[in-house]
Amino acid sequence: MELQAGSEVEATVRGVLADVLGLSQERVAGFDAETPLFGALPELDSMAVAGVLTELEDRLGILIEDDEVDGEMLETFGQLVAFANAKAQG
Amino acid sequence: MIDFYDGPGGREAMLCLGPAQGPVVLVALPFWEEANRTRVVAVAMLRALARHGIGGVLPDWPGTGESLVETEKASFAQWRLAHRSVAEMLAARRCYGVSMRGGTLVDGLADLAGRWHLAPMTGEAVLRDVIRLRAAAGLRGDEHGVFGAESPVRVAGNRVSPHFLAELAGAAPSAPEAIPYRVVRLGHDRAPADRTIDAVPPWRRAEPQEDPELAATLAEDIAQWIATCEG
Repeated sequence: MELQAGSEVEATVRGVLADVLGLSQERVAGFDAETPLFGALPELDSMAVAGVLTELEDRLGILIEDDEVDGEMLETFGQLVAFANAKAQG
Repeated sequence: MIDFYDGPGGREAMLCLGPAQGPVVLVALPFWEEANRTRVVAVAMLRALARHGIGGVLPDWPGTGESLVETEKASFAQWRLAHRSVAEMLAARRCYGVSMRGGTLVDGLADLAGRWHLAPMTGEAVLRDVIRLRAAAGLRGDEHGVFGAESPVRVAGNRVSPHFLAELAGAAPSAPEAIPYRVVRLGHDRAPADRTIDAVPPWRRAEPQEDPELAATLAEDIAQWIATCEG
């Protein structure tokens, strides 16, 4: 698996959130590590969570096990990026 | 316009667009919530196909849309039979199957002039998505949970019979060599395809969203492919 730079992974996570949740690029660009996601974004229901995870798999070439899916990894933008980074670095 | 066909569970509605003669595409949408997200793009695609002189039919399957069959009573076998019933109604015309995602598992019984598949997937892949959805919903979906513990199984608001899910286990898209077959994929999907279009897959979006550019691109691809098939 090719290594992806952290900033690239972060940009991919922003892109996925914008595309799946239908958020504007400006809004997603304003997300920082502390921005709350799950529970704070009405768009992020369980269907959308599944879409975000599957789309992250496709774009980053990673595999996410379903027992890794918990509220914590989706709590903030920073936590989701950290999770995706850990996966992308394999 | 809305027309009707006699399916295995009774009379079902179907949306018919474009000319009433000449080649026609029979659309099989993805399953469940993905169908809701994809319908608006599929209908726009059919309107664009009509401008290319190609008819389009988008049926409800038993237990979907306006169907009087309860969602949890519907079976996968019924959907396949329903697809064949519609194709038989259209038998006087050259009927092409245009199937998307899980819909590519439904078009296997019909006698078609060709199959055009958008992001085809196996039944196993559909089941993996169901398990993921349930994991995301906090309902841990191990195999036991999916197939037995809850009946019907709730899949993003749809009440699905566990038998339906069990029927999917060995299902694969049908692609007999005797008729033309084309595979198109979207976005970052790396699986083999005749063409991969750079677009956000509508079935991944949280809310159904219009995507006129994608609808036009898909319609053009289908129209060109049908022109090649008709030779």
